[in-house]
Amino acid sequence: MIDNLEELCQLNGASGDETRVRDFIISHISADEVTTDNLGNLIVFKKGRKTPKNKIMYAAHIDEVGFMITDISDEGFLSFGAVGGINPAVVLGRALKLENGAYGVVGTKAIHQQSKNERKNMPGIDELYLDIGASSKEEAEKLAPRGSYAYFDTDFFEFGDGFIKGKAIDDRAGCLVMMDMINGDPEYDAWYAFTVQEEIGTRGAKAATFSIAPDIAFVLETTTACDISGVSGAKKVCELGKGAVVSYMDKGTVYDKALYALAFETATSNNFPVQTKTLIAGGNDGGSIHISRGGVRTCAISVPCRYLHSPSCVIKESDYRAVRDLAEKMLSAAAEL
Amino acid sequence: MNVKFTLKALTGLVGVSGDEFAASNAAAELLKQYAEDVSVDAFGNVTGFVRSARENAKTLMLDAHIDRVGYIVTYIDDKGFLSVGACGSPDVKTLLAQSVTVHGKGAVCGIVSTLPPHVQKESGVPEVGDISIDIGMTKEQAEKVISLGDRVTVNSEFKELCADVVSASAVDDRSGVCAILAALDMLKGADLAYDLAVSFSAQEETGERGAKQTAFRVQPDECIAVDVSFGRTPDSNPKETAELGSGVMIGFSAALDKEMSNNLRKLAKEKQIPFTEEIMSDSTGTNADAVGVSGKGVKCCTLSFPIRYMHTPVETVNLNDIKSTAKLIAEYALGGAANDR
Repeated sequence: MIDNLEELCQLNGASGDETRVRDFIISHISADEVTTDNLGNLIVFKKGRKTPKNKIMYAAHIDEVGFMITDISDEGFLSFGAVGGINPAVVLGRALKLENGAYGVVGTKAIHQQSKNERKNMPGIDELYLDIGASSKEEAEKLAPRGSYAYFDTDFFEFGDGFIKGKAIDDRAGCLVMMDMINGDPEYDAWYAFTVQEEIGTRGAKAATFSIAPDIAFVLETTTACDISGVSGAKKVCELGKGAVVSYMDKGTVYDKALYALAFETATSNNFPVQTKTLIAGGNDGGSIHISRGGVRTCAISVPCRYLHSPSCVIKESDYRAVRDLAEKMLSAAAEL
Repeated sequence: MNVKFTLKALTGLVGVSGDEFAASNAAAELLKQYAEDVSVDAFGNVTGFVRSARENAKTLMLDAHIDRVGYIVTYIDDKGFLSVGACGSPDVKTLLAQSVTVHGKGAVCGIVSTLPPHVQKESGVPEVGDISIDIGMTKEQAEKVISLGDRVTVNSEFKELCADVVSASAVDDRSGVCAILAALDMLKGADLAYDLAVSFSAQEETGERGAKQTAFRVQPDECIAVDVSFGRTPDSNPKETAELGSGVMIGFSAALDKEMSNNLRKLAKEKQIPFTEEIMSDSTGTNADAVGVSGKGVKCCTLSFPIRYMHTPVETVNLNDIKSTAKLIAEYALGGAANDR
């Protein structure tokens, strides 16, 4: 599983630039119908052993957060904007990779030359610049024209007691679960939406859900875990090592209460570790899915993830397995509701 | 000698201040190609000698520091997260969500912990004491592989940018070490005007401590301290920075020997080596400050070159500036300037 996740996460595919991820998925699944819609959503139908009473859709987004080149100075430095929500603190002091494979680095003037105020305050993304070592505007434009993308350039590794670190685990982890389900031997027919543009407002899911028109949807995601040093109680939101996260409500969706209960029952009766969030925070494709057409009963099953939207997303392998196992069982549980 | 490959090798060495031995030993091996009596002392300072065939040659010390900024483990909390202190003055702003290596019993991977927006009080920069490192272990597991005092470095690969610009951590001051090695390479078999005492000194970043010891032992007549200086960035003051690619920076300072600075400038002009003047009205903030007042006193000058993003994991340098610096060191060692005395 880890090798596959590494391969998926190391692909660069920010919102609006998802082709590489989509092509990889297409070449690694065996399904009954595979189509790419006008926005770039990958819509997959996989026949199961039985036909369910309800039309069921799984969704995971293939895009990740990244950067877009917005301007080039006469000296050859690049300005950039964030594609999706990125804290500038996780950009400073590291390399970014351009679409053509060239590298740039992000820094500021040396700490020795910063005023007291500058040392204490994080610059905004609009104040940062990408240094590709170019000595002129012309040289820089060739490597990174305006509107081209840049990506976190970072390592993917296992560490500690079963932890995994990499970029874009949000939401390639969800994609991998769907790929596993498609390539497995599902009990029931189901639709799988690999959605685009989640990070800029859950946009792809709007079109994909309209096209599929499901009765029930399961969003497979990663969700903020803040079980770190110095944080206690409800503010931890959820914890790594405590299993799949099933949500009752977040900033985008109030989830179907019966499905929420069913997910907990299913996990418990199968001995899959399961937890919920202790804070109403975040949001995902569910926000677009549950209000599609005449409404879709929606449930989110997530892998708890530390440091989301950074080059160092951290999950625990056991939680990933819990999400995969629960996602699979929910197909059978929801098919005849 | 290939400057790029040597710099890549040197920046790949760990060697955080006070824990330089692995880096010092590796640098000593490189120095052995050019120098005799190469040794590493108990402090981690590397010393080696290239002697002139001339009688009564004066001793010129060539110094660059081998240590680099980093972090040191100060505490393991109940959840297994590590607290750290700074070795030197790294820019903590660049630290969040970086992947790091804790140099414990073996290399232990970790992530610098960051708070998501919902629990952040303000978007200010954390104090280094508030940073914690997530190593994915319980306290008991952590204590088996990590001891308080272990060093921590940010993972950063050597990256080639446009043309001759490269980026890596520890360019400060491994590129200085690289410049000295490149100068020695140019001087192979040459008729030296000086006995050269090469010093790759420890603990510059924690207060110019290693060079003090080496200078005392060597008692040179003159010293060139080779270190990095400030490269121009869009947000920097042009008066306080030099463009990458503008050549070697010759130091002029109240704490430096004026004649030496003037001679180096004259020599650079004569040999058509690209250079700029680096004016430091007070002391220099380099090993030259410590070496200058060592023993009975040492005439010092600094040769620097501009780097961008000093004390971050992406210190960025133009290889041609390292080569210009090497060239000027070599010309000086051949006596180009000393002849005017």
